[in-house]
This record gives sequence, C-alpha cells and structure tokens, in this order.
Amino acid sequence: MLRMENVSKIYRTELVETHALRKVDLHIKAGEFVSVTGPSGSGKTTFLNLAGALETFEEGDYFLDGQNVKGLSDDKLSEIRNQKIGFIFQSFNLLPDLPLFDNVDVPLRYRGMSAKERKERIEHALETVGLASRMKHLPTQLSGGQQQRVAIARAIAGEPKFLLADEPTGNLDSLMAQQVMELLEDINSKGTTIIMVTHDDQLARRAHRNIQIFDGQVSDIEKAVANDVIRSA
Amino acid sequence: MFNYNLQLALKSLKDRPSLTFLTILTIAIGLGLYTTIKTMSYQGGQVPLAHKSKNIFLVQMDNREITAEEVDHQSRMVDTTYKDTLNLLAMEMPGVEQTLNWYTYGILNIEDENINPVRATASVTSSNFFTMFEPPFLYGNGWDKATEDSAEGVIVISKLMNDKLFGGKNSVGENVRIGTNVLKIIGVLDTWHLSRKFYDRGFRSGRPDNFFIPHTYAIANELPRLAGFDCWKADADIARSFRNENTQRLLNSECAWVTFWAEVPDEQIENYQQQLVNYMEGQKALGRFPREILTFVTNLNDQFAYINGRDDFMNVFSIISTLFFAVCLLNAVGILLAKFMRRTKEVSLRRALGAKKKTIIAQHVIEVAIIGLLGGLLGLVVAYLGLQGMMNIQIYSSDYTRRLEDLQPLFALDFTMIANAFITGILCTLIASIYPIWRLCNTPPASQLKSQ
Repeated sequence: MLRMENVSKIYRTELVETHALRKVDLHIKAGEFVSVTGPSGSGKTTFLNLAGALETFEEGDYFLDGQNVKGLSDDKLSEIRNQKIGFIFQSFNLLPDLPLFDNVDVPLRYRGMSAKERKERIEHALETVGLASRMKHLPTQLSGGQQQRVAIARAIAGEPKFLLADEPTGNLDSLMAQQVMELLEDINSKGTTIIMVTHDDQLARRAHRNIQIFDGQVSDIEKAVANDVIRSA
Repeated sequence: MFNYNLQLALKSLKDRPSLTFLTILTIAIGLGLYTTIKTMSYQGGQVPLAHKSKNIFLVQMDNREITAEEVDHQSRMVDTTYKDTLNLLAMEMPGVEQTLNWYTYGILNIEDENINPVRATASVTSSNFFTMFEPPFLYGNGWDKATEDSAEGVIVISKLMNDKLFGGKNSVGENVRIGTNVLKIIGVLDTWHLSRKFYDRGFRSGRPDNFFIPHTYAIANELPRLAGFDCWKADADIARSFRNENTQRLLNSECAWVTFWAEVPDEQIENYQQQLVNYMEGQKALGRFPREILTFVTNLNDQFAYINGRDDFMNVFSIISTLFFAVCLLNAVGILLAKFMRRTKEVSLRRALGAKKKTIIAQHVIEVAIIGLLGGLLGLVVAYLGLQGMMNIQIYSSDYTRRLEDLQPLFALDFTMIANAFITGILCTLIASIYPIWRLCNTPPASQLKSQ
C-alpha cells in the first residue's frame, strides 16, 4: 500500500548538506494505523512530507497505492495528494475567513466534483466529526478540539486511502486529544490507513505499529502485539 | 473551477479593500495620464482624408537660384511660384486634380448694421479644393471652374462666420463685404474637423479657416497675401511688400509662396511626376529652373509621419507618461507582492490539499485581471478628466481664440482609445503581476504548514 525503498532526502544549501532521511525502507499495509515517533529534528515531519507527496526526494523509490511517486510532475503529485491523501496538521490549518462548510469544501473543489456531491460529502464528514450543526460557523468561533475535528472532516471528506496526521493532538488538552484520537481510531476502523506523527508515547502505543525515526534513520518496530499486551494489562 | 477561482478572487479583493483600492488607484492614475497623452497623440496624429491620403500630394519644384543650398527633404523645400501653379493647373491629366492655397485676411461686413464686422483670416484657393479636401458643407457648394476663371466675387464661409454674421441661417445668396469688395456667399461649411490643417503646410490643429475665396478674385482685387515669400536675391529686399502691393512684380517673379497640391490616382503617379519633370525641362529651356531638376511629390501619409515624428511636445510627454505609467505599475507590483505574500500559508495549504500550480495561477490571474479591468475603468475616468483639463488649458493659452467645438475631437476618447486603455490596463497589470504570482505559486506545499 505504501512502500519506501532506500528513500533518502537531503536538504542542500551552498555550504551544507543535511541528510534529513537516510535510506528508508518501509512498508505500510492498507488499513494500518502507524505512529511515527522520534526526537525533535529527527526527520519525522520530513518523512510525513515525503509520504504525503508534499516534497520530492533524491534517492530510492516510493510506491503509494502501487504507483511510484518518484519523478512525477508537480501536477500529478497534486492529483495524488488530492485524491489519495488526507492531511491533518498540528495547527489545524483551517482558512480562518471561511465557514466550516467552505473549509471542508477546499479539497473537493480541486477534485472537480459536482456541487451536489460536494454538499453531501461535506455534510457527511461534518456529521462524522459531530459538527454538522455548525457548518456556517467560522473556525475562530470554535475551540481547538473542534477546529481539529473540522480539519479531520476536511481530510476525510474526499474519502482518501491515507490519512497523514502531523501531531494532530499537539495543540490540544488531554481531553480533546482523547476525543480526536478516538475519532482517528474510528476512521481507521473503517479501513483508512493512518500515519500519525506524535511526541506522545501513550498515543503512539495506541497505533497498530510504531515507527521510530532517529537522525533520519527509521527503525520499524512491530508494536501491535506489545500494544495488545499493554491494553489488556 | 473558473467559478471557484472567480469567487476566491472577488473575496480576496473584498477582504483587503484598502490594498485593492490602492492598487487600482495606482494603475488608474498611471493609465489615466498615459491614455490622456496617447489620445492627444493619436487624435492629433490622425491623417485626414484617410480613404485617399496616399493619393493627396504636396507638389514642390526646386526653382531656386543656382547658389542656393542643397535640400534633401520636402519640409525644407520652397513652395511654388504663382505662375507655375497656373501652368500646372492648366495641365490636362485624366483623373488628376490640383489646387493651391495661400492666406489672406479681411474684415467681413454685411448690410445689417446691428451685426458687428468680423476680422478673419481665410484661404485663397481654387475650385478643386472642395472636391479634393472634402470639407463638409452645411449650405450650398464651392465655386466651379468657370466662376473661378471669370474671377467672380464668390465666397464660401465657415459655420462660425455664418453664426456670427447671419445667426446660423442659410446665408447662401447673401452678400458679404471684405473692405470695399462685395462677394456673394455660395456655400457655408459645417464644422470641419481636421487633426491638423495640412493644406497650408502649417499642420496646426483646432484653427479652421473662416472663409474661402477664389485665387483669381484675390489676385484681381489685390487682397492681402499672408505668406512667406522665398524669393531670388533680386526680389529679396522687397519680398515683404508682396504681402500688400507689387502684385504684378510678384506674379512675374521667381518668388515661391503658393502651396500646391495634387490628387493623383495610383496608376498616374509615375506619369504625373514625369509631367512635372517635363514641365521643368520646358521651363529650363526658357531660362528658368537653373538648378538640377528636383521635385518633391509627397503624400499626406508621409507628411504626417514626418510631422508626428517631429512633434517634440507630444514625443516628450509620451515618454514621460509611459515612464510614469511604468513607475505606477512597479508600485502596483510592490503592492501586489505584499498582498500575495501574505497569502503564502493559504496557498501552501491549498497546494497540499490538491490545488495544482496552474489553478493557483488561474485564481490570481483572475484577481489581477479584475484589478486591471477596474484600473482601466478608473483610468478612463482619469483620462477623461485629463483630456478635459488639457483642452481647457489649450483654450486658455490661446486667449480663448480657439473654440471648444474645434478642439473637442482632438481630445475625444473614441472607441479605439477606450479599447486601447482597457487592453493596456489589463495586459500591463497582468505583466506586472507575473513576478508576484510566480513567487506565490512556487510556494512549496509543505513550507508553511508546520508554522503555528
């Protein structure tokens, strides 16, 4: 479903070369919930950006849903992001002057859907996150947790195969973080593959599997069994 | 997608109205001044009689003394002697029409004592003037050849004179006096808009002639001659006297002072030029035309191209207004850049959510096109006010001797100039926005998403 083979990402300036990711080999299956952890500056966000086709890379191959992403045009990458991936950001990244309905509408607009289909999907997505009654509100009229739920609604409205979440609970208190996590688990249970970058070990342990990144190198740790042990304890 | 981009563009314009207005105003002021000068240049540079301007020729023959300096351009060549104009007028050539022109002046008076006499300048010309140069008639017509040959006292007056002397009524058949000479009105011209009055080689604008009389009558009655006399040395000392006296000596002299014109169909041009050469050779045999044979037969298009190119006032102002417009556009670029760069986070997000570069470009091109369109509209208002201002300055600087009616066409925003302003406004704004849009659409999709 998502396979990286020897993927490296190097940031170059005139004087310095920074290896953000080194020879990453990784395979994530459809329907998995994978957490990505590691210290600050280890390359987690770079990994997520590559996984989300937000950045290009120099070495290796990256297959997303069977398609090699390497060397694709900017337009093609936009299409992949639009149709296959949903993004959830730590700082929500909602457009502050647009009502919730229009915020959720953004990725659907770029997919060229009919107005009717867009409306149905937006209403359904907002209903899923429990904000159907507030679709005319502006993001600033909502709490942080609610804003993140709108961001989730935006990410799932297009029914993507992948959901990439970059510290989705980083700006939320523990109660709201719990709600958001439950929402993500619910979405995952319906078949959407989720990759979540987090600093929170507890949340990371709730994923099927945890990937650790340290100095740009990935260690893929099968956590599912261990998590089961922890949960049942 | 166009509708969505249009919605976003309109929203963006409304979101920051002061910045939007400032951009539009900057473009409008630059475009307004540019269009003002461009319109003046365009209207003033229009070649009259466009349908046959290539066939209307100023005719000049070099009859100067052997010691005279070389001349390589028609603008520096002398006019024609009266005896040559008569000889050329007598030449029969199928399809060719010829006419002549010089100035006179006089005080026009009519029987009605309640009407004040009017001092006015006028053209002395031939019957073909009216068919060649096609002035619009309000009443009556020009004179015919027979009337001209018999030196009858007939006159064609302008609309202005007709308004002043006859209150605008049809005055054909009425008599008018110039000094002691009584002339019968046979025609009244309507307002005649010429971008520049070319037939006297003065190329001045907005100063129509007040009346027209036959050259035979003017000579026979020794009407004053307002002309520059290019005479040979023998007559140079008394050249100034030719204005009012020594008519016979002037007519027999080699003084060139009459502007001579010909309308020649395409197929006759070569033949006509040969006829001129033949004529000069014939005259040479009689002891005239001492220099090597040199003629200038210059059509209106070429004359206007030369005159427009030498219009320093318009040329300098054209450069200044273009530079000013460029500075305004640069300012607009700065404002647009500032405005667009505030949007990098949003663009980054939209790119992450699937917007293609070309979609982002389209959204901003639409926004800029609207700004250009509004800038064009407001620019037209500025240009209109600018043209009105320039027109009033011209009237004021002429001590109100020039009339609004005569100047208006020279300061009119016609369809061509309106379309020109819109296209220039939109096109230049789009060109100016290339850099801001390029900067914006190249925002990497991941660059702004991590910021708090």
